[in-house]
Amino acid sequence: MQISPVDTQNYLLLAATLFCTGMLGVLVRRNALVVFMSIELMLNAANLTFLAAARERLDATGHLAALFVIAVAAAEAAIGLAIVIAVFRNRGTVNVEDIRTMKY
Amino acid sequence: MDTTWLTKAWANPQALSANLWLIIALPAFGALVCGVFGRALGRTYVNLVACASVLASFCLSVFAFQAVAADPSVIVTPAANGVPMRFALSGDWGVWFQAGSFSAHLGLWVDHLSATMLMVVTGVGFLIHLYSTAYMEHDAGYWRFFAYLNLFMASMLTLVLADNLVLLFVGWEGVGLCSYLLIGFWYTDAANAWAGRKAFIANRVGDCAFLLAMMLLVLTVTAFAKAPGTEPPAVFFAQRRAVWTHAATSEPGPLNFKVLEEFAQYMPANLAMGSRGMLGTDIPIGPLAGHTYGHTLTLVFLLMLLGAAGKSAQLPLYVWLPDAMAGPTPVSALIHAATMVTAGVYLLCRMAPLLVMSPAAMATVAVVGALTALYAALIAFAQDDLKKVLAYSTISQLGYMFLGVGVGFFWGAILHLVTHACFKGCLFLSAGSVMHGNDNEVNIKKLGGLRKEMPWTTACFGIATLAITGIIPLSGFFSKDDILHGALHARLVGYEWVGPTVFAIGSLGALCTAFYMSRAYLLAFTGERSKDAKVPHAHESGWVIVAPLVILAALSIALISHGFPGLLKMPNGEPETLMEAFLKPVFGVADRLAIEAHSLLPEAERSPWPGFGIALLLAWAGGGAAWYLYKRVFPARAGKPAPEVFAAVRAFTVHKFYVDELYDAVLVRPIKLLSIGLFRVVDEGLIDTVLVGGTAWVTARIGSLLRYLQTGDVQAYAAMMAVGLLAGVGYAIFEALAK
Repeated sequence: MQISPVDTQNYLLLAATLFCTGMLGVLVRRNALVVFMSIELMLNAANLTFLAAARERLDATGHLAALFVIAVAAAEAAIGLAIVIAVFRNRGTVNVEDIRTMKY
Repeated sequence: MDTTWLTKAWANPQALSANLWLIIALPAFGALVCGVFGRALGRTYVNLVACASVLASFCLSVFAFQAVAADPSVIVTPAANGVPMRFALSGDWGVWFQAGSFSAHLGLWVDHLSATMLMVVTGVGFLIHLYSTAYMEHDAGYWRFFAYLNLFMASMLTLVLADNLVLLFVGWEGVGLCSYLLIGFWYTDAANAWAGRKAFIANRVGDCAFLLAMMLLVLTVTAFAKAPGTEPPAVFFAQRRAVWTHAATSEPGPLNFKVLEEFAQYMPANLAMGSRGMLGTDIPIGPLAGHTYGHTLTLVFLLMLLGAAGKSAQLPLYVWLPDAMAGPTPVSALIHAATMVTAGVYLLCRMAPLLVMSPAAMATVAVVGALTALYAALIAFAQDDLKKVLAYSTISQLGYMFLGVGVGFFWGAILHLVTHACFKGCLFLSAGSVMHGNDNEVNIKKLGGLRKEMPWTTACFGIATLAITGIIPLSGFFSKDDILHGALHARLVGYEWVGPTVFAIGSLGALCTAFYMSRAYLLAFTGERSKDAKVPHAHESGWVIVAPLVILAALSIALISHGFPGLLKMPNGEPETLMEAFLKPVFGVADRLAIEAHSLLPEAERSPWPGFGIALLLAWAGGGAAWYLYKRVFPARAGKPAPEVFAAVRAFTVHKFYVDELYDAVLVRPIKLLSIGLFRVVDEGLIDTVLVGGTAWVTARIGSLLRYLQTGDVQAYAAMMAVGLLAGVGYAIFEALAK
């Protein structure tokens, strides 16, 4: 039995859906941790786009970019979580609506 | 006696040519050492470095001079650029800068003219450095002084050695800077600092004109070089012109002296070269198209005259020189008498082949020179400050040099330059010696009777006074009266009145010179010591001060050999003066071109002796009048007030004919008012308030409005980014659909 190859368009649609979901999460959720998770979702949507393109063009450049994104995402998660923890220790909350002291 | 060692060069000319830069570099290095490490080195080593660097420069100059003077036929340095060259040492260190078809080289050369100047600058320069070591021995700023003095030497030597106008201008500005620094050397006194500024600004006016002249010259020469051949195609001419065009537009550049001289060859009608003469022709191309070459050259030289007048203190820019006496006396001797102020004369002589193309410009030079000579001599009548008398006398003597240049008597001007450097240097240094021994007293009415107390200084001042007055066995007699003789017999075509006129004015000036110099000598050195004297007894200066005086006094006697008429015979049997023969390789071209251009026609050679008789008579008359007035009339009238007419005339003269006041009212005050207006309205109002303040104000206002966008809510920022992203994506889709 032969599995029919999936069309690249479908990958892109999935990536777009993931991205929009992530963006929605970033914009509407109040919990900083959830906002983080949404950002990871957006990054992975971008990864998926890269990989789809790599598959379409039959070269490895896309994979390279995806690896970079994963590395950056890891670093970003480490720093972001550290910040969230520091904020929580100081203020006892991770609700982004309550953390808005850096303003005019 | 074997004299072959005299007629061949002592040093290999090629090696000398390659090392000409050392003549400039040595004093420049001395300036660096004295200026940077002077305070740490201490007085002894600063004196040593400063004097040794100039002495070394002098020795090199002697070799260069000897190589040039020895035997013109032996050494002909081949010009790297293919332009045929007069005999000279010449070194070229490549392109200095280039802009379009214009280029300037770092080139130095020594021909008979610059060799003469070299000897004057380094020779007198070394004597004055030596003198300064004693004169400045109690001054705390000695290292600064010697650094400036060495820097001056380097600049002046650049000016003299440069083989193009651009490099000459570097030296020209350099000596101006050093002059400014040294006039204001004792800057803690505000008057000295102001005097320095006055000198700098007066010079700047001239320099501006000089720059304009150079630019015009570049346009003219380049236009001629690039213009399609307007000449009959004589083969010789065409070949020569091809080489020349290459030189003017690419190799050494249009402001090289050799190129300019070659350019001059094309101007007058010259049958040998198959040319019809370009002076009356229109410039065919370039920004000057439509003006004739002749008119352009006249304009160039009128501007150049203004530049030279600034540097050499001629009317109308002479006002800075008397004030420049605020500097230390060795500076007055070196910069403001012997060397720097002669730069204008040197410049005009250097341009002689082109200058003779324009009788109008030459007439102007001659008249300016003659008027300055008389005018400054008149002011010197009533000055009581010994240095001021000498300053006006310098202006006056420079006037004679300009007079000589103006009537095409170039070698006479240069001879007078040389003799003047000796006797005026001697006069200034003697004045310095007098100040040294009299607690800085310069008022001749408060001196008197120095003859017994300072015998050496008195003798040297006396000899130099006789030399400048023009008494017969001294150099000044022939150098000045050669010029006057030349003026009487020069015929500037279209300006025939100029020669006799300037002769008359110059002779009157000579009479005045004799009067005021004798007055200064009689009042300061003879008679009884004044009751107002600062110190009861003057003391003679040490040998370091006296030795330069004696050498310069001796030179002002010895140099008579170069002005004595008829020592040599020309090939056609006519008598020739030593200096004339010596400078013939330089000025011969100019003399020939003047005849070809029909601008300056020499009259048949006449004996100069009758004229010399008159001159001698005038000198005795002036001196005698001074003696009669100041030794017989005034002492007899002591105590009685002077008649009112004389008092008024004297006041008018003492105030230097109110020229400073006139300039102040006509130029300085209006410019100051204008500046204050511009400062208040444009600078403070427009720039400070509106532009600078306004920019800050607007930025601050916009900022204070926009800061409310900073809500501190991360999600609001994220939303903005999302909106921006959406807009971008939307635009991309819209573009894609529109295609």
